[in-house]
Amino acid sequence: MDELKLGPVTLRNRWLLKGFEMLDRRLAIKELLDEEVFNKLAPTHLGIFSCFGGITFFIFLMQIMTGLLLMIYYVPDTNSAYKSVVAITNDIPFGWAVRGLHFWGANLMVLTVMIHMGKIYFGGIYKAPRELNWVTGVALFLLTMGFSFTGYLLPWTQLSYWATVIATEAPGSMPGLGPLTKSLMLGGPDVSQITLSRFFTLHVIVLPASALALLTAHFVQIRTQGISGPM
Amino acid sequence: MEEAKRGWDEEPVSRRVFVGSALAGSALAAAAGVFYPLARYLLPESKSGGGKKETYSVALNEVHVGEARFFTFKRKPALIIRKTQTEVVALSAVCTHLGCIVKYHEEAKQMQCPCHGAKYDQTGRVLGGPAPKPLTPYSARIEAGNIVVEEA
Repeated sequence: MDELKLGPVTLRNRWLLKGFEMLDRRLAIKELLDEEVFNKLAPTHLGIFSCFGGITFFIFLMQIMTGLLLMIYYVPDTNSAYKSVVAITNDIPFGWAVRGLHFWGANLMVLTVMIHMGKIYFGGIYKAPRELNWVTGVALFLLTMGFSFTGYLLPWTQLSYWATVIATEAPGSMPGLGPLTKSLMLGGPDVSQITLSRFFTLHVIVLPASALALLTAHFVQIRTQGISGPM
Repeated sequence: MEEAKRGWDEEPVSRRVFVGSALAGSALAAAAGVFYPLARYLLPESKSGGGKKETYSVALNEVHVGEARFFTFKRKPALIIRKTQTEVVALSAVCTHLGCIVKYHEEAKQMQCPCHGAKYDQTGRVLGGPAPKPLTPYSARIEAGNIVVEEA
């Protein structure tokens, strides 16, 4: 084998060929790649608004990477949280860039999710057989809101503190389950270290894990149902 | 002479090789643009000499009695005041009110902040204005004809 055609790509490098052959013999990836990647053509009726799901996923991956980097220096403790965020921004080399990417990524992700949902809604793409994918999509939208809400508290500034006070007072005034919901969110009567810890846990473990699981379902459904036809 | 005549046009680089190298070069540059900040971010102690204590020194005869000298210490403005022949003070020049840089007024023997008028004496104590705290002091000493400033 001195060359290998994968759709439009031709592999000639000896080492790449050897490596590919080694993998292909064990995993039979050539057929899979041909079918699912290289010879898979996108429908011609797709426009700019069809890209926003993918853009959202790209931003989500950026959030995971910048989030991991931030977590290396961030301290989820009421005495140190703000100081650690100031240190990330001012003292650690390129910390401003990492935090800036995470901050703007978070804002942009909400925007791109909205545009994506608008396209799906107004294009009628949620209709059968894609109703379940609309359901996972809405769940992912709610997770995005959860990311924004929990992430807002983490710098432990006046703004984040009072935003959390207000945003937990609101569900707290629900009739019936209100007080229970509020104390479940806060872990006590007011915003404290306990609140910071559980928001941190939600933000860095629970929400990302749920989002990854739902995204997998979201993408598998796209592959089974295919891209919807033109309007 | 034969050697010198061999120009770049004798063995033309094929378009494929040229475009390929250009692509590879751009890809490398892009990768460096990601991995350099990443490496610096993960190795922050390299920013100022591996966590070594920062010092600043200036020749004693460059600062006359009663004068002040501004310099950069720990990446922030600071000043040395030579109060007498043998007495030197080093302070942060960042006003504790809202972070402006204070000015030294030699006749009044005061630091005054141009933003909101906070006043400090030569040792950094607040004399008036909105400043909530004295200026951050650093340790300063005279050593072999030099003024040496270190973190207090």
